[in-house]
Amino acid sequence: MSIAERYEEIAHCNRCGFCQAACPIFRSTGHEAGVARGRLALLRALIEGRIEWSPELEAPLYTCLLCGACTSNCFPAIATGELVVQARAEYLQKVGRTSIHRLLFDRLLPHPRRLHLAARAAALGKNSGASRLARALGLLRVFGPDFAHAEEIVDSLPTQPLRVRYPEGIYPGQGAGPAVAYFVGCGVDVVQTAAGAATLKLLRRHCSSVQVLGTNCCGLPAFSYGDREAARRLAAKNLEILAATGAAAVVTDCSSCAGFIKSYPRLFSGGHPLSAAARAAAARTQDASEWLQSAPPAESGRLRGRRVTFHDPCHAVRGQGILSEPRRLLQRQPGATFVELAEADWCCGGAGSYALSHYELAMRVLDRKMENLKKSEADLVVTTCPACILQLAHGVRRHGLAVEVRHLTEVL
Amino acid sequence: MIPKTLLLELRRIVGERHVAESRTAAELYSYDGSLAKGPPAAVVFPADARETALVVKAACRAAVAFAPRGFGTNLSGGTVLPYGGLSICLTRLNRIRSIHPHNRTAVVQPGVTNLELQNALAPLGFFYAPDPASQKVATLGGNVGENSGGPRCLKYGVTTNHVLGLEAVLSGGEVVRLGGPAHDPPGYDLRGLLIGSEGTLAVVTEVTVRILPRPEQVLTQLVVYDDVRAAAQSVADIIAAGIVPATLEMMDAPIIRAVEESLACGYPRDAAAVLIIEVEGPAAGLARQAERIRALCAANGCREVRAAGSAAERNRLWEGRRGAFGAVARLAPNYLVNDCTVPRTRLPEALAQVAAIARKYGFDHGNVFHAGDGNLHPLILFDSRDPDQLTRVHAAGWEIMRACVALGGTISGEHGIGMEKKEAMRLVFSDDDICVQRSLQQAFDPLGVLNPGKLFPETATEFADKPHAIWAGADDLLSAAERETAVAVKAALADGSALRVEGAGTAGPFGNLPARPLAPLATGRLDAIVAVDPANQVVTAGAGVRLGVLQAALAAHNQFLPLRPALGLERRSLGGIAATGGCGPERLHYGAPRRLLLGLRFVDGRGRLINAGGQVVKNVAGYDLTRLIAGSAGTLGVITRLTFRTATRPERCALLSAVGGLEACEAVARQLLGSDIGAVFAAAAPAADASAWRLLIGFEGFAETVAAQLRRAEEFCRRARLAAVTATDYDAVSGAFAASYAGIAGRPFILRAGAPADRAAAAAELIQPYAACGALLVEFGFGRVMAGSNGLGLADWRRLSGGLHALAGHILLETAPVEFKRENDVFGAPQPEWRLMHRVKETLDPHGLFAPGTLPGSGPQGAAR
Repeated sequence: MSIAERYEEIAHCNRCGFCQAACPIFRSTGHEAGVARGRLALLRALIEGRIEWSPELEAPLYTCLLCGACTSNCFPAIATGELVVQARAEYLQKVGRTSIHRLLFDRLLPHPRRLHLAARAAALGKNSGASRLARALGLLRVFGPDFAHAEEIVDSLPTQPLRVRYPEGIYPGQGAGPAVAYFVGCGVDVVQTAAGAATLKLLRRHCSSVQVLGTNCCGLPAFSYGDREAARRLAAKNLEILAATGAAAVVTDCSSCAGFIKSYPRLFSGGHPLSAAARAAAARTQDASEWLQSAPPAESGRLRGRRVTFHDPCHAVRGQGILSEPRRLLQRQPGATFVELAEADWCCGGAGSYALSHYELAMRVLDRKMENLKKSEADLVVTTCPACILQLAHGVRRHGLAVEVRHLTEVL
Repeated sequence: MIPKTLLLELRRIVGERHVAESRTAAELYSYDGSLAKGPPAAVVFPADARETALVVKAACRAAVAFAPRGFGTNLSGGTVLPYGGLSICLTRLNRIRSIHPHNRTAVVQPGVTNLELQNALAPLGFFYAPDPASQKVATLGGNVGENSGGPRCLKYGVTTNHVLGLEAVLSGGEVVRLGGPAHDPPGYDLRGLLIGSEGTLAVVTEVTVRILPRPEQVLTQLVVYDDVRAAAQSVADIIAAGIVPATLEMMDAPIIRAVEESLACGYPRDAAAVLIIEVEGPAAGLARQAERIRALCAANGCREVRAAGSAAERNRLWEGRRGAFGAVARLAPNYLVNDCTVPRTRLPEALAQVAAIARKYGFDHGNVFHAGDGNLHPLILFDSRDPDQLTRVHAAGWEIMRACVALGGTISGEHGIGMEKKEAMRLVFSDDDICVQRSLQQAFDPLGVLNPGKLFPETATEFADKPHAIWAGADDLLSAAERETAVAVKAALADGSALRVEGAGTAGPFGNLPARPLAPLATGRLDAIVAVDPANQVVTAGAGVRLGVLQAALAAHNQFLPLRPALGLERRSLGGIAATGGCGPERLHYGAPRRLLLGLRFVDGRGRLINAGGQVVKNVAGYDLTRLIAGSAGTLGVITRLTFRTATRPERCALLSAVGGLEACEAVARQLLGSDIGAVFAAAAPAADASAWRLLIGFEGFAETVAAQLRRAEEFCRRARLAAVTATDYDAVSGAFAASYAGIAGRPFILRAGAPADRAAAAAELIQPYAACGALLVEFGFGRVMAGSNGLGLADWRRLSGGLHALAGHILLETAPVEFKRENDVFGAPQPEWRLMHRVKETLDPHGLFAPGTLPGSGPQGAAR
């Protein structure tokens, strides 16, 4: 589908510029190429023939965090993120796509086992200081082309991916709650394994049984990159696995995965053979924050004396409309003081692998987040997306803050 | 096209990555919030004032046109480059430099958004008054360029009333500072001229703004109407009743529906119109104001009135108003927004005509606007992809402007002229008027590289139907005397003499000794009051009319002109007051004469009658010549008529006085002024006992409010252990300072000093040794000291001048003996920005006709040596 088919939507931009107020990239660069109004102007110019598809468009299209803040500030609510993704797809067709992404989306992400192998090798390399070896293997390329920074961002890698420790299968629970399925996102699987273990523990404590699914990547990275076909291939495999599980709910502790699975129906819209399966999967999927509303863990008191704040992942707050759920849980913790983070719903710049592909820009976005974090005087920042955790933890190190960064399931 | 060498130089100045030059960059910077287009050849992003100056210098050397730009949200095409060139994007100058609660100022860079400043001020209990609806994304540099308003400016005034100082890069690359934290520096109000000049006179790199304490209480009401005319009539009635709401906003049916569909703010979907009316200020008496508003709306047959019960409800109501433009964007791909202003009483007619015009051209439209200011915002819905619609929409816009001008209004209240309305300048200005404005542009930018193609009509010829005649109107009581004045000026031009404009003769000759003998030009015959328009609170009168005569005419309508010039009071002529900026401590609340002036007419140095401004409370058409001429002390022309906004006479004016040391008085004043009490002035004069001072605090308004203010102020005084705390009432016209003025007037030397507000006491201490007994008055709110002296030597003057400059202030002599003037410049040591003033003088008065040699920097530099 060509972007020209969405001329009507694009033409609704009146250039009022209100998107500038909330765009983390624009606020970092002050450059029109980094904001919805500018991106829409370029799409319009493409359609109207004033400019052509060329590598000049790479930055305007690929510096978008897809955080969706512009749409929230847009009166005609133009879905710029979606249009950008679609334009990326056309860009890939007309200008070209890199081999790294082909490797990533076609070879690695569809196969959890290969991903595990890659991560273990990378971990070995990184943790032992033999990162040259890892580089030679090209394995850190999983995280994008800029692996020097990948190493900075990813402080340390667990040697054992989550699903090596807990292979797919059904695990008995201690609770009486209905059986659930646990969708393990790649980030949790290979980097935030501690969060994954904590989630699994919570699930098992409340449910009669928990099925760790053998799913692959949810498809969001490929989709964001503009490779809709790769995204569909990844999603299709997941749909098959999801259809086979008997659990009433599918829970994931990655808000990005949760948000994307909930949007599968749009990926397979318009009478696609998988559209019914996509709708069913979307209806069953729950972000961990949501699931925890119905299964609040016992008050532990482990946050006693802590000053806690929450960072909203884009895919939770705008992607799924999750705002009060995690806050309610944190506010209930005995002895803990919950403080609201200024601009809590602003993107941290992690944005999946964005921080790895656009390091400098992502750091400027992150600096703003860290300034706000400093002002909050919190000693613990909680969130629900592995990419956010990675990015926030990197920010805390960079700014020398004494703030702990944790996944929600780790602190409950 | 842009020379390669210039690009290289730009990259060297700002760094490789801060210069964009590509097809996509050209596309991205080819637009703003309007329909205008113009792709730049390159875009440069300087980091600070220094880099900006270097960029400007390089562009000027290469003779490449350039335009400053912030977030590019303006609605008139002011920031796009119709002929290509260099876009200078100031988004990296985005820091709030400092906030000074003690002297109620803040210093910001131009790339800071209005809302960012508001957010930084809120925790300190302050706010910045201008609040354009686009405040989230409108930068303060842009606010300055357009002289932005916003809902709240009904009560507080527009940007120009809240900017004290500017740092700007002139064409050529020179950096100047105009004004600063001290009010009313000597010379022309070039700061006022720059504000609203849409980036055609200079590139602003830093702004010093005035900040205000947050009001004690805000009451918000939503009034619902089944009839648009009834809503418009209510607006006129509220203002005519003497209530000054902080905001008075109106939305009609199409807007209400659009807003409700996108935001659900709780406006009734079937209403024909709603008004959002807000009163704010001291809590005492505020409820009664809200009640009176309800009664007036009910008398016009409103359906219901809803009061916002909480801050959240209030926010919800405002959310809809602020989002109205955007909400309309849902209805059609594009909208054209006009921002004509009409006298408030003409709103019902204006709305009817706008509707007829939209219908005639086949467009849907809606209205959302600042009704209290008469500032319309009709939004005409169309699709810019259809060339036929594009042509028709421009035609409709043009017709709306014509209709509003015919109703006594103007073509732009706050959005600016830019590219979109430049031809419409002819609707409000004559060829001569435009010629004078253009010559000012040339004085600032001789190369013609600064934001060319804006503001002024392209063609030199008049339109066939002479539309400017609409503004000039028919002959009135003053026309004959004005023509005589012009003839007298031409005669002086012919015989090579120089002129001193004479008003009522109450003040001595102002400024330095003239360079050559001056023949008096009397304005006594310009003595007619042309129009008193109490419903719109506007009065037009000749320059020769004495203030007392005007006050008597206004008294019949329970109104007055809130000016109490220190010297001469009611005996002074309006022209003299305007030309010398005469006002007393009440300036803190009501503003200087230039703040109250809506427009004026003057004879320039070529003997032409020139119009400046208009007759409506909000007007950004062209340069703010009104501000330039007011305060120019008869050196740029002779003012013939003036249009002022008037005010309802306060129910009660009361003075609280108390006695204590200067330090204690200053401390109480500082507390009061930083609080939400709402004083009209806070001044002090030495008491009879030489070591003590008498603190004088004024309150004016509804009796209930004043009584409460007095109680609170008394409490302040008592806590500070000031003695002899007493309250007395005073007259609204003659004010509370007759005794102080009597002590100052008639002295051979009369000094006027300005300092940042928190240094007013220091300035007073510095001046006191030179002041005659009972001839000193210090105002803490805007930092002014006035004093009369019996003798001042060269060394004294040097010490005073240097001392005030050390306080970041200034001092001048309103009156001084001729012998003293022979030796000294009465404005003190020369300042770099005065050069620009002389350039302006040479432009408007090329033959040196008006009081040559009297300007600051023209006298002998005794103090400088």
